[in-house]
Amino acid sequence: MSIADNGPDDPAAATQTSSWDSVVHQLRQTAQVLAALALIYVVFFVLSPPFRNLDTLFSIMTQASILAVLACGTTVVLISGGLDLSVGSIFAVVGVVVGILLAEYQVPVPIAIVAGLLAGALCGALNGIVQVTTGVPAFIVTLGGLTAYKGIAELMASGRDLSRFPESYQMLGSGYVMPISIMFGAALLTGLFLTKTRLGNHAYAIGGNEEVARLSGVNVARSRIIYYMIGGLLAAVAAILEVSKLNFAQSSRGQSYELFAIAAVVIGGTSLFGGRGGVGKTIIGMLIMQTIIVGLAYLGVGTSVQRIAIGAIIILAVFWDVWRRRSR
Amino acid sequence: MSGSVTDQYVLEARGVTKRFGGVTALDSVDLELREGEVLALVGDNGAGKSTLVKTITGALGRDEGEILFDGQPVHIQTPLDARNIGIETVYQDLALVNELSITKNIFLGREIVKDNLFGRLFGALDFKKMEANVRDLFARLDIRISDIYRDAQGFSGGQRQAVALSKTIMFGKRVAVLDEPTAALGVRESKMAMDLVRSLKDHGLSVIMITHNMQHVLNYCDRVMVMRLGKRAAVRNVSDVDGDMLVGLITGAIAARSG
Ligand SMILES: Nc1ncnc2c1ncn2[C@@H]1O[C@H](COP(=O)(O)OP(=O)(O)O)[C@@H](O)[C@H]1O
Ligand SMILES: [Mg+2]
Repeated sequence: MSIADNGPDDPAAATQTSSWDSVVHQLRQTAQVLAALALIYVVFFVLSPPFRNLDTLFSIMTQASILAVLACGTTVVLISGGLDLSVGSIFAVVGVVVGILLAEYQVPVPIAIVAGLLAGALCGALNGIVQVTTGVPAFIVTLGGLTAYKGIAELMASGRDLSRFPESYQMLGSGYVMPISIMFGAALLTGLFLTKTRLGNHAYAIGGNEEVARLSGVNVARSRIIYYMIGGLLAAVAAILEVSKLNFAQSSRGQSYELFAIAAVVIGGTSLFGGRGGVGKTIIGMLIMQTIIVGLAYLGVGTSVQRIAIGAIIILAVFWDVWRRRSR
Repeated sequence: MSGSVTDQYVLEARGVTKRFGGVTALDSVDLELREGEVLALVGDNGAGKSTLVKTITGALGRDEGEILFDGQPVHIQTPLDARNIGIETVYQDLALVNELSITKNIFLGREIVKDNLFGRLFGALDFKKMEANVRDLFARLDIRISDIYRDAQGFSGGQRQAVALSKTIMFGKRVAVLDEPTAALGVRESKMAMDLVRSLKDHGLSVIMITHNMQHVLNYCDRVMVMRLGKRAAVRNVSDVDGDMLVGLITGAIAARSG
C-alpha cells in the first residue's frame, strides 16, 4: 500500500525543514504582486520626472499608511469569509472619541489612544456578536453598522471643535518615519497573528470551509467575533494616525475607506471568497493603488479619471481571483 | 485487543429518531458497535446512513434516542464531545479544508502550540512538531506524500482520503466513523483507502464504515447493518451473507426477520 506523491518530485523536500518550504511558497505568491508594483512604479519612473526622486516613494508610502493599517484588519475579516462595511464609520467614531478626550477633557495622550483602541475594538466586536447571534448576513449587519456608527460619531461630534492636539500626539502622524513604521508594524503583527497563531490559522480554515472547521471542533462563532474585533482595532489605529496627522477630528472622516481597503486587499491577491491571502499582499495592493493615484496626478490626470482607473483595476483583480479559482 | 473482535459493545445508539421538518430521516434506529470490529453500514441513497452517523457523532442534533459508550450513557451534543470521548469521524465531502496545508488539516482544531510563553499567551503554533508528527505517521502508514505544507486542494481524491483516514489514526482513541471513504475513488485508490481502514482496525480502533461497495463489505468488514427508509432493516455477520443477499436486503426483496 502506498499513496503516490503527485507533487513535484523533490527528494530534498523530505530532509529540508518544511516550514522553510512553506515560506518560499508564500513568498512566490507575494512576489508576483510585488513585481506588478515594481512594474507600475517603473512605468511612472519613465513617464514622470518626480518619480525619480526618492522622496516621492516615501510620500506614497506615507499617504498609503493610514488606509493600509485599516486594510490589515479588512484582510483578516475577508480571509475568515466575513465582510465589514462599517470600518469607515468605526474610523469616524474613534477619531471623534480621541478628539473629544484630547481637545475637550485634556486627558493624557496614552489614555486617549487606549480609549480610542477600545472603542474601535468594541464596535468591531459588536458587528461580530450581532452576526453570530442573529444569523443576519455580514453584508447587512455591517451595512447597518456603517450608518449607525456614523450617526454615533455625528452625535458625539456635533457642536464641538475637535482640533489643536498636544505636540506629543501630533508626532504620531507627522513626517515619514512614524506613519511608515506604524504601517509596517501593524502589518507585521497582523501577519504574525495570521500565520503563526492558532486563532489566525482558524481564520483560513473558517474562510475556506466553515462546516469542516466546525466539525473539526473550531469554535466558529467566538473566532468570528475576534476577527471583527481585530478589524475594528486596526480601524482605530488608522483613525488615531489620521487625527494626529490632520490635527483635527471630524465625524465625516473615514467615508468610503472600507471600499478602498477592500480594493487594496483584492488587488493584493487575498481572495474575496475567504480562505486565502495575507497581509503583506494587502500592503503591496495599497501601494499599487496609491502609486497609480499619485502617478496619474503627476501626469495631470484628474481625480475622476483616477477613480475610473482604480475601479477598472479592482474588477481586473477580482476577475483574476475568480479565474484562478476556476482553473484550479 | 488489537485486531480481535469481542462481544463488548464500545458504542451503542438506542432509538435514534431524527426529523427534518416533516421528513422522518431516522425512525428509532438502534446500532451496536463491537470492540475491535469493522461494521459496515449499507443502504440505498437516502436510507439515512449519513444522518445516523451525524447524529451519533454530534454533527447533527437528534430528536430522540440515547448514545452509550462502553455501556455508559454519554452526552454528545457537538463534534467536539464525540472527539473527546475518542470517536473520530470522516464526514462525506467534509473531510478537508482545501485552503489549508496537509499538516494544518490533520491538526485542525487540535493544533500543537509552542511550549513557551508565546504558545501560552498567543497560541503560537509549533509547526516543527506538527510536521514531524505527520511525517512520522505517513511513514508508518506508507503514505507517500512529502509536500505536507502544500494546500490540500492540489491532491488527488485518493491522497485526500488517505490524509483524512490517517487523521483518525493519529487521534482516534477508540472509534472511527467513516462515511463512504471510497466514494469517487478509482479502483487502485479504493484499495489503498481500504487498506488504511484495515490498519485502523490493526491500531485497535472499532470502525463504522458507510459504503455502497458490496465487495468491500465482504472483504474488509466483520458485520453489516442494512438500513432502509430510515429504519434498521437487518444486521448480519459478514460470514453469513453474500453479495446477492445483501442487495436483496437493501432493496427489500429479501424481508429480514430481525434487526
Ligand atoms: N439537512 C437535511 N435537511 C433536510 N433533509 C435532509 C437533510 N439531510 C438529510 N436529509 C434527508 O434525510 C434522508 C436521509 O438522508 P441521508 O442520511 O443523507 O441518506 P444516505 O446517507 O443513506 O444516502 C433523505 O431523505 C434526505 O433527503
Ligand atoms: Mg450519505
